Amino acid sequence: MITTIGEIVRGDAAVFPPYLYEAYRSTLRRAPRLPLVEVPLTASELIRHRLDVSRVTDGDADLTRNAATGGEALGQRIIVTGRVMDEDGLPVPGALLEVWQANAAGRYIHKRDDWPGPLDPNFLGIGRCLTNPAGEYRFLTVRPGAYPWGNHDNAWRPAHIHFSVLAPSWSQRLVTQMYFPDDPLLPLDPILNAVPEGARSRLVAAYAHDVTEPHWALGWRWDIVLAGPRATAFEAREQSAA
Amino acid sequence: MSALPVTPSQTVGPFFHDCLLRDDRCEATVSDEGGAPIRVEGRVVDGDGTGVPDAVIEVSHAAGFFRLGTDDEGRFSLSTARPKRVELDRGTMQAPHLSVAVFARGLMNHLLTRIYFEDEPSTESDPILRLAPESRRATLIARRVSEDSLTPLYRFDIVLQGAGETVFFDFRSPAR
Repeated sequence: MITTIGEIVRGDAAVFPPYLYEAYRSTLRRAPRLPLVEVPLTASELIRHRLDVSRVTDGDADLTRNAATGGEALGQRIIVTGRVMDEDGLPVPGALLEVWQANAAGRYIHKRDDWPGPLDPNFLGIGRCLTNPAGEYRFLTVRPGAYPWGNHDNAWRPAHIHFSVLAPSWSQRLVTQMYFPDDPLLPLDPILNAVPEGARSRLVAAYAHDVTEPHWALGWRWDIVLAGPRATAFEAREQSAA
Repeated sequence: MSALPVTPSQTVGPFFHDCLLRDDRCEATVSDEGGAPIRVEGRVVDGDGTGVPDAVIEVSHAAGFFRLGTDDEGRFSLSTARPKRVELDRGTMQAPHLSVAVFARGLMNHLLTRIYFEDEPSTESDPILRLAPESRRATLIARRVSEDSLTPLYRFDIVLQGAGETVFFDFRSPAR
């Protein structure tokens, strides 16, 4: 993909996409053009918020049934699971994961998604869960379909699931997308390809037969590693203060 | 231990509303660490000055965490407690401010900025604000637009690109 790539990147430029990536047209008028101002992390960014998670239920992680219609979503049933960790491999427990995705036909329930793909009355395409003490999460959903978009002629987004990760430390905030490895649309997608080549595969889940449940659902594993201050230094400081 | 490969960011895209802005979304427990109530209103605009209707703004300070959407004109409105001063390091204080993250279709990674307050005497000497070029500092300072109402109202626009482009931050390693 030949395109103009901007130089303004937040975080490690070998990992994070630049704000300006011309092939993804929405970046043209929204990417900042002036250099980011580098500042130290302060107590403001290291705040650990105590999330009010009382409303998160186990059922929220089951996208096949959380439309609460009594019916089940159509499509290939899949389990998506993995661990949320910091760069040292330490688990990030208590992180709120929120996911959204198209249905098996590639359609979102959204007023701005109006292509003629069928809606599924039993599928909302939204879910959430909290990571457990080992940093693990698990969703039951259906495999999303690809869908067309207006970025360029005959543009189709590869199947993907949007992930929002709200870690207890706000400095580790991440919003990203998870893809599937056997998708011929991956090399054609400017949003995935905006990620530096060496880091792109980190957004692609791996088929996991040990996660697959017989006569039930296919398993996919996808781990998430959060940038930001290492938990080690951070927890140690908290302990010494205690 | 060698560091694990960090997961890259991607845009929130245009279809996040039902997930990220659902009415019963989780918010951090609001503590009593802030001051009296304030309101901050503004717009998120692109390089053409057009409102960004599909942005999410997250605001964090000691008194809580908030997530806001923008309307069809890119407008947002935040009601919170007035933030207090926060330590930078031993002996140095920061001016009261709100930490802000901006997500939108077309933003491949969220943008980080801060909201300072023009009627706060310590704003001018804030050590983080002073790292921004002097000519651009005003983009980080909310203007007070009401004197009469019970809850002070501030105006803060987020200009993603072009004339008056808001200062956005990247972080170095933690301050010692």
